Amino acid sequence: MSWLLVLTLTLACVERIEFDIPPARAQIVVEGTITNEPGPYTVRVSEGISLDASSPESTPIEGLKIDLYDTEGAFEALTETAPGTYQTGGFIQGEVGKSYYIRIETPDGKIYESTPDTIEPVGEVSNITYEYEARTVEGLLEDLPADVFNVYADGNAGPKDQNFFRLRFTGTYEVLTFPELNETRPPTYTPYKTPYPCSGYVVVGYNEDGSIAAGGRLLQVDECTCCVCWAEQYEPAPQLADNQLLLNNEYRNIKVGEVPINNATFYKKYLVELEQMSMSRTSFEYYKLIKLQKENASSLFQSTFGEIIGNIKGVNTEEPIIGLFWATAIAKKHIFIDKSEVPYPLTPIEVKPFRCYDSYPNASTIKPEAWQ
Amino acid sequence: MKKIWLILIISFHQITYAQDILSVQLKNSHINRPLSAVLNEISEENDAKIFFLNDWVKNLTFKNDQIGNAFGAALDQVFVGTDLTFLIMYSNTLVIIKDPTQALLRRSTLEQAKKEGQKVTAIKLGEENQINSGKKVIISGTVVDWNTNEPLPFATIQANDTLASIAADQQGKFTIELNQGLYFLRFNYLGYQEKIIDLEASSDGTIKVEMEKQLTELEEIVVEGTQSKDLAVASIGKSVINMRELKRVPAFLGEADMVKQIQVQAGVTTVGEAATGFNVRGGSVDQNLILLDGLPIFNSSHVFGFLTSINPDAVSDVTFYKGGISAKYGGRASSVLDIKSKDGNYDQWKVKAGIGMVTSNIMANGPIDNGKTSLAASFRSTYSNWLVRSIRTNYADLSNSSVFFYDGLVKLTHLYSDKTKLSVTGYSSQDSFSISGDSTFQWSNFQASAKLDHQFSATLGSEFTLGQSIYQYKVLNEDVRTASELAFKISTTTANADFHYEKDEHKLNFGLQISYYQFEPGKFKPISDESNAASIALDQQYSLENALYFTDEWTINERFFVEAGLRIPTFFSFGEATINVYAENSPRQLSDVTGTIDFKKGEIIKSYVNLEPRLSARWMLNSSSSFKLGYNRIFQYLHLVTNTAAATPQDIWQPSGYYFKPQRSDQISIGYSKEFQEKKYGITTESFYKVIKNTLDFKDGASLILNQNLETELLQGNGLSYGFETSVFKNEGRLTGNVNYTYSRAFRQIESEIVGRSINSGKRYSANFDQPHIVNLSWKYNVSTRHFFTGTFTYHTGRPVTIPLSAFNVENQTVAYFSGRNSYRIPDYHRLDLALVIEGNHKKTNKIKGTWVISVYNVYGRKNPYSIFFKNSGLGVPIPYQLSIIGTAFPSISYNLEF
Repeated sequence: MSWLLVLTLTLACVERIEFDIPPARAQIVVEGTITNEPGPYTVRVSEGISLDASSPESTPIEGLKIDLYDTEGAFEALTETAPGTYQTGGFIQGEVGKSYYIRIETPDGKIYESTPDTIEPVGEVSNITYEYEARTVEGLLEDLPADVFNVYADGNAGPKDQNFFRLRFTGTYEVLTFPELNETRPPTYTPYKTPYPCSGYVVVGYNEDGSIAAGGRLLQVDECTCCVCWAEQYEPAPQLADNQLLLNNEYRNIKVGEVPINNATFYKKYLVELEQMSMSRTSFEYYKLIKLQKENASSLFQSTFGEIIGNIKGVNTEEPIIGLFWATAIAKKHIFIDKSEVPYPLTPIEVKPFRCYDSYPNASTIKPEAWQ
Repeated sequence: MKKIWLILIISFHQITYAQDILSVQLKNSHINRPLSAVLNEISEENDAKIFFLNDWVKNLTFKNDQIGNAFGAALDQVFVGTDLTFLIMYSNTLVIIKDPTQALLRRSTLEQAKKEGQKVTAIKLGEENQINSGKKVIISGTVVDWNTNEPLPFATIQANDTLASIAADQQGKFTIELNQGLYFLRFNYLGYQEKIIDLEASSDGTIKVEMEKQLTELEEIVVEGTQSKDLAVASIGKSVINMRELKRVPAFLGEADMVKQIQVQAGVTTVGEAATGFNVRGGSVDQNLILLDGLPIFNSSHVFGFLTSINPDAVSDVTFYKGGISAKYGGRASSVLDIKSKDGNYDQWKVKAGIGMVTSNIMANGPIDNGKTSLAASFRSTYSNWLVRSIRTNYADLSNSSVFFYDGLVKLTHLYSDKTKLSVTGYSSQDSFSISGDSTFQWSNFQASAKLDHQFSATLGSEFTLGQSIYQYKVLNEDVRTASELAFKISTTTANADFHYEKDEHKLNFGLQISYYQFEPGKFKPISDESNAASIALDQQYSLENALYFTDEWTINERFFVEAGLRIPTFFSFGEATINVYAENSPRQLSDVTGTIDFKKGEIIKSYVNLEPRLSARWMLNSSSSFKLGYNRIFQYLHLVTNTAAATPQDIWQPSGYYFKPQRSDQISIGYSKEFQEKKYGITTESFYKVIKNTLDFKDGASLILNQNLETELLQGNGLSYGFETSVFKNEGRLTGNVNYTYSRAFRQIESEIVGRSINSGKRYSANFDQPHIVNLSWKYNVSTRHFFTGTFTYHTGRPVTIPLSAFNVENQTVAYFSGRNSYRIPDYHRLDLALVIEGNHKKTNKIKGTWVISVYNVYGRKNPYSIFFKNSGLGVPIPYQLSIIGTAFPSISYNLEF
């Protein structure tokens, strides 16, 4: 509709629309899981985040009394191990077939409870495969390569007739940075070598007055503890599966994730970890709404999203609370995709003169368990 | 009736020949004697009849100074100071009457009308010797357009100004019962010159009233589209759009529009500036039945609702019902917009052309066979592409954008006799637009119909309609790798037989209406060799909707009028189809499927038979005020399913069937209307309460396009709406106009014990179009007979929306927490539009008539939100934005030409 467009360009305007909404911080957000794996099980409680916040950091809510119950009467008090993070001590061990719920009490006496969630039996991931796909994205001047490996999984859903489960994809890749090459440019604009101490390098050769010389020399004095790290990639939206995708309770070739191909992700190799997580219908519906929201592109005629309601409700209060405490059984499988699978040579990894974990998202120097 | 006109007859003389009795000269013998004796003498001497009552004249005599005066003048003098007067019938009969207002009024009205050059047609029914004391006569007739012979539905008829006026029916027919005597009848129809008939009624008779289009400006024409001058007699919930006035209302881009006019009526709202469709009394967009010559129109808009897809020049009349809907109409729960196309002129060719900023239109009509066959053709199209492309912009994509639409209507009418008329109509409209060359949206309407009007007798008439209509849309994606076409189509075959029969105080309408629908709910296919798009075709759906109806318009007496009716709709949905069966008490999702049922071709999947009682009643408190009552129950079998805020061409029509029950709406409305100062002012109020069962709404995050199993995404529940509407009109003077205010609420509640089958946790929520306060103001100021300033002001409460309130983290993702369904509102909407209308010379002799309309839309540049949508913030969560399409004052100019 070009004259609508004309108007859009000449008369129309798009602007942020403000509503008189309650402060996001008044919202209590709960996130917790119990699994069939050994604990501790964690419940995180935080305040809602303002829509205008620039970082997803939320303010933890401290000093709550949280108890974990099973429906047979056993309970265990959680301890606050970090601000807003509450953990079990090992008394309760999640078991398939049992139901669990939590009870939260605030210092001012408000009580919230989750509806009991049952650990449903889980099947297993039998096979993970991947396939190269050439792709481009629109760049400023020309299309840029954005090739991926599509990752697929086969498996079975477990012994039940009706199944709901997640296939949680986590990717890990090793990267290298060069913190010893860090330089500082004081106002004279002549670079000075300022290696990070964790790089194990120091600068030798000082000016007569003891200041760092522009032409100093690097000398390794210790091992680098921030050059190598492992970055994690999370799925952009939860992958869910139900009976629709099953034939005789088996699933085949479900796409579970995409691995971007570049000189960082394939500096060495890429670890694909897949967790099949059984779900109750309640938690399935909760994650389904999250998935819809994350996947829906914005458009003028987009569909309306809805309230994501979890399973936690006030017992003696109407104060708003959102979130889910859910129970799941987990089956895991992982594979590596080697650099040699990339059908063309990649450029060497970019030289980043910073600490590794500052240079890549979700990176840490702790080597993942599965990494060999 | 305040005044009763009595004629009492006391004496009767048989006379053989006549002469002009009034000019008889008074003689000596006539002076100072009882008037009764003199009158008897004069009647005998002059072979005339004089009717009078002795009591009335017993103290009156002619005086000495009246000798030689004419009898008539002398009577006038004698009657000064009394309440007596006289009138002449058949030139030799003189009637002396008491309470003479009527007679005087009649005389002065006729004289006045003649003075003003108004045409007065004299009609004589029966002979003088048929006059009998107290005998009643029944006058029936038809009101038609003088040029086209088209009936003028709901024209108003008023006898002697003091009787309550009545309205003709939809076929322009009327019947009035009068005492024998002399009358003047006023006929009014919006946009037409008033017609006065000087009637001598001695016996029953039929008259044909031909009315002429108003070519010269009359002051009292109203800006409002309703019959604001006949509030008291108008039926509840019904209004007629005045096509002439439509052109004078300030319009966006200077384009006059019918639906825009509907949208400013009390009780009607719209969700967005240019949203497709309108919402009537808490009903959704699909609950409006839009008929063009009796066939349904599924999408009545050009360019997403900026314009209606029917050229107003091709339309003869538009009637809108929002309550007390007649049993003749059905299948949509909230309102009826009945549009009738124009017949061509039977006598001469006429051409009308309009040039606007974005569209131009032409309408030509005239005789093919003089007096017998006529043709009317209209065409309208846009040429705004140049406008788009001539704009200099940094948006490289703009050159790829395009818009196109047209609509055309051709109507051929043949009069076989004055009792039989055949019309054949073809209508087509198409829209296409694309934004930045990405996707092209196309939608079109096509209709072909034949209608036979036949009058079997003076009392029994009929209309037979046979037609086919097709509505379809396509979304084309031209990206090389994913080039695809998404198509949707509904074909409707309609066969209607409608009859109307009149007997005494009853007007009966009855008939049978049959519609066969064929739905193609979604077809998706690649349109280039390189395309990776899949091929998907959803199963076709078939259904048949029939209805038998019967309605009686009963004028019980001058005060009471009742229209009662019954409609019996039946609906069948049939195969071939495969229906999923879901586990009992499950949320009904694909994971709950336990099996399927197959239906063979033609096998009935589901059938519904229902009863719809209808009632519309009016009680005239006096000639200027009335109470009204309406009730209707309507079942709706076709549902528009959408999960976007405003209706878009991508919405899907879903017939009732195995899972979707028909919607049922029950509405009761009451109203009061009053006119003041000879209809100079009027006020009308209506209140309504409406309950809708089985209304449809979507689950959160539903995906509807190309979904074979819509029952997994849609839920049915209850709707409730109620409200109060009031309108005040000023109909005369230099400044005319009206203001209306509506308070109304519209709610939905979809609740189930079963998990996943509730919306908004089962709590009641506001419907999308729940806008409690609505004010519309429109006016016209006559600067001169050819220059008008017109204006409209609209205000409504912002509509409800669902918005994000905060964000929270789930594992490593940040998601938005949305409010409950529709629990917040966008800012209030208000807008002022002004126009200056300059009409050409009104002289009838002028061959060419031109009209300029210069208008400014959104005078104070309010940034009203057209749409609310979400963009991802830095956190990756949706944040609400508003798009204001016309965020500034927008001037436009258009020129219309008629020759």
